[in-house]
Amino acid sequence: MKKTKNTDKKPTILKVDKSLDKYLNKGLFKDKIDKANDVLKKVGIPDFSK
Amino acid sequence: MKIEKYPVIIGATSMVFEFTSEGIRGGIPKLVIYSATHLHNFYNLGFGDKNIISGQIDDEVITNNGDSEKVLATVAATLYTFTDKFPEAMVFVTGSTKARTRLYRIGITNNLEEIQEDFEIFGLVGEKAWRPFQKQTAFDAFLVKRKKK
Repeated sequence: MKKTKNTDKKPTILKVDKSLDKYLNKGLFKDKIDKANDVLKKVGIPDFSK
Repeated sequence: MKIEKYPVIIGATSMVFEFTSEGIRGGIPKLVIYSATHLHNFYNLGFGDKNIISGQIDDEVITNNGDSEKVLATVAATLYTFTDKFPEAMVFVTGSTKARTRLYRIGITNNLEEIQEDFEIFGLVGEKAWRPFQKQTAFDAFLVKRKKK
């Protein structure tokens, strides 16, 4: 079967696998999340106007 | 972005995505996670290689699989799926190293017109202020939000 290339803006979703959501509770990327929270505290958020 | 993307598997929450990089070093599973922060609607985007033995995620590894443009395009494409579900979300993006943050900046710059069709994008300057993204400007992090149509 010939493969088609996806160049759309959205990704092709092969399936939904609810077991992936376990990664939300594993404390992954803690350093980045801490940095995000630090930036929120020190800088805040920009003015999204549109 | 007209760059080819990998197909993804998505979690039921639309906050976790998995895809497989296919390159010169074989198939390498990648995970993209949108994590909540202290502020409602403010999320961190994290992605890295998934160790198929330990299940651990490494966001500092240099994969060198020869497909970085396709990998970044796939990660960027998950923003559409994520913000379809969370249209008010602001997504914080930074690299695990300065070099990787620079790589993200180059990727954004190369696709800026198309990105700005759908997203507002700001860059963090010196960890002191947000500025609208500009080409040829160094940023420490990025913040994107889907435009209202």
